[in-house]
Amino acid sequence: MSVTVREAGPTRAGGARLPHARRLELSDRQLGVLFLLPFVAVSLVFVVYPALDSIRLAFYSKEPFRQAFTFVGLDNFRYILSDPVFWASARQAVLWTVASIVLQTVFGVALALLLNQAVRGINVFRGLLLFPYMVPTVVIALIWRWMFNPEFGIVNAGLRGTGLVRGNIYWFSDPAWAMVLTILLNVWKFTPFVVICVLARLQSIPQEIDEAAQVDGAGAWQRFLHITLPQLKAVLAVVVVFRTIWTFNKFEEIYLLTRGGPGTSTFNLAVYAFEQATANLKLGVAAATGVLMLVFLFASSVLYLRLVRQEEA
Amino acid sequence: MSQPHGLSRRQFLKSTAVGAVGAAGATLGAPGVLRAQGKTGTVRVWGEPGPYGGVAVDGMNEWAQKNAPGLKFAIETIPWSDVYAKLMTDLAAGRPAHCISVESPIAFQLMAEGLLEPVDDLVDKIGRGRLISGMKWEYWGAWKGKQYVIPAHHQSDLLVVRPDVLKEAGVTKSPAEWNWNDQLAAAKAIKAKTKSFGLCFALGRTIATDYYVLHLLHSAGGRMFDAANKSEVVFDSPAAVETFEYIAELFPTMPPGAVGYTFLDVVDSMAKGQSGMVFYWGRVFGRAAEVDPNVFKTLEAYQQAAHPKTGKRYNWNDFQGWLIPKDNNPYVNEVKQALVYIQTSKDWQIRYLHSLVPNVSPVFQDVAQDPRLTQHPFFQTKRRSIFEYYTEALKNASNSGNELLQGISPLAGIVHGRAIIAQGVQRMLIDKQPAKDSVKWTHQQLEQLRREHIRLVI
Repeated sequence: MSVTVREAGPTRAGGARLPHARRLELSDRQLGVLFLLPFVAVSLVFVVYPALDSIRLAFYSKEPFRQAFTFVGLDNFRYILSDPVFWASARQAVLWTVASIVLQTVFGVALALLLNQAVRGINVFRGLLLFPYMVPTVVIALIWRWMFNPEFGIVNAGLRGTGLVRGNIYWFSDPAWAMVLTILLNVWKFTPFVVICVLARLQSIPQEIDEAAQVDGAGAWQRFLHITLPQLKAVLAVVVVFRTIWTFNKFEEIYLLTRGGPGTSTFNLAVYAFEQATANLKLGVAAATGVLMLVFLFASSVLYLRLVRQEEA
Repeated sequence: MSQPHGLSRRQFLKSTAVGAVGAAGATLGAPGVLRAQGKTGTVRVWGEPGPYGGVAVDGMNEWAQKNAPGLKFAIETIPWSDVYAKLMTDLAAGRPAHCISVESPIAFQLMAEGLLEPVDDLVDKIGRGRLISGMKWEYWGAWKGKQYVIPAHHQSDLLVVRPDVLKEAGVTKSPAEWNWNDQLAAAKAIKAKTKSFGLCFALGRTIATDYYVLHLLHSAGGRMFDAANKSEVVFDSPAAVETFEYIAELFPTMPPGAVGYTFLDVVDSMAKGQSGMVFYWGRVFGRAAEVDPNVFKTLEAYQQAAHPKTGKRYNWNDFQGWLIPKDNNPYVNEVKQALVYIQTSKDWQIRYLHSLVPNVSPVFQDVAQDPRLTQHPFFQTKRRSIFEYYTEALKNASNSGNELLQGISPLAGIVHGRAIIAQGVQRMLIDKQPAKDSVKWTHQQLEQLRREHIRLVI
């Protein structure tokens, strides 16, 4: 396709263009670049610049009250790597990320398969499924805090009412339960994202392949394993990478739900960095934490995508 | 547009821009822009949650109406748990409020950091000799010979009990005579024999937990820092281990959720009848009156239980005052005048104290003796408890910024910002570390903090 952009210029009566009017013709590539420019500009200002500045800050000590800005080399990294809370946060971040992604993927694929059925009114269910994804995290976290309130929350009331437990469960006071809740909140909120991506792919898979396998006597599980899943591999690879990056970096869900507690048992690296920046005013340490997160995520993503490509090859 | 004769284009544009900005500022009433009739804009006042900050600001606005009609004082309330982070980040960003009411350890840190305006010129205007007997101006905040904080009130955490629950649990000895062992026995009896939890105080990773642990530590004879010796860390002591072990013994009598509690959770635990006893400031009475009048009727406050060996009953008394950030603050003089106005007005002082009885205790003798003070309805039924807060508590006053009232350490505010003491206790309660190891870890954190901020204490 070739798009022609004409400069507005003086015209004679009747619309005929004057001889000196210039024609500006753009190729597809040039037009694409033009459309990308606003995004590039915004990214440079709000993503690239802050990221580069954070990397620079990771090598400095900044005392905000004194406007002191001292180069400290690798001291911030040494501080982090010798801090047991950092390592605990890293372990918890991996646990929270892996558990969340596995559950989101499993539930996401299962729900997408269900929503791919040609059933009357299925669009209503598809719409409803987006609800958790649309509600602001702060609202969800507050609602969950009420639901899981040990004394008057609906969850404990339900469990007691059905005789499953006798006393109250103190969800946010037990490290294991607190971690389970943060994972569940993340799964509940972001499974719809997986569903949308997978459902879009499912709808583009030709039905003929599935029908042919059915004729050949393949069962539902076999058809899913050997026909549907391979078709989903590419989209799942992208979904898993993106969800992993977003989940690993997640801050607000954990902070709003548990504030990283009890103790530091639900800290991930984002919460750790936040605490270093606000409570400790160690801006350099917080920035260094961000740099380590960036390196870890970059390495993990490259490794994962290579594995997927190898398998495809 | 034609260019005025004799003026370069650049000069013309520059003068036009300056004029336009000035005109816009005057029209919009931007803060800091001087008008002919005086300053205009909004004077931001930070206060902790509670009606008293709002009452004080009402008083300041009364001053403004009379003396600076272009000014409006506005209260900004910060939740307790976020006070430190909010204050520090706003100060670091160079956009602090113009007047702050905050807990004393944080005020001490700010004055040592050099962020506050000295207020020595206000002391005589407000009345150097007005303080209640035994209290000193420096308790609120003096550093290197200069006064930085104007007294607003004092508030102690005391032992608040429900005598009906104690009776049900078969506890007959008066809390006024308790030592730590009696307190522990009572908490166990309440847990075992009633539907209530024995004792409640905050054990979450918050500033609140720091305060509770430290009042116990002080009674046991321990401290965090030696203020007289450049704030050397003296935390790792038998007293600290004993304090941690005592908390571990109390813990099974407490609501299990206490490991996540902060201030208001403790208030509600008592006001809603969940616990038989709490360590708390006077706010719990007001909250109970709102939430459950039957609970309010039964509440009584006592001085903290005495440590069995030292006999001390220290509470955590916040000598809370008004302070004025000096940087980026165009309203220093106006805030000073407004503070003198409300601090010398008995009317406003009484209104301030009545806004939350008995949470905010009087600091000026003339106000404490004013007959209007006792005209609040709470005095009809809670007079003894109120005076436990107002006057008796002062005999056992201590806080983490001025431990045992033996000297100010500006490091305490930073300790609370990081909730170091709370984290130490949580290592024992959540991570199941021995008390001795948790104390050692806490000591190491305090040492590290002192190293980082040594400039504040030498």
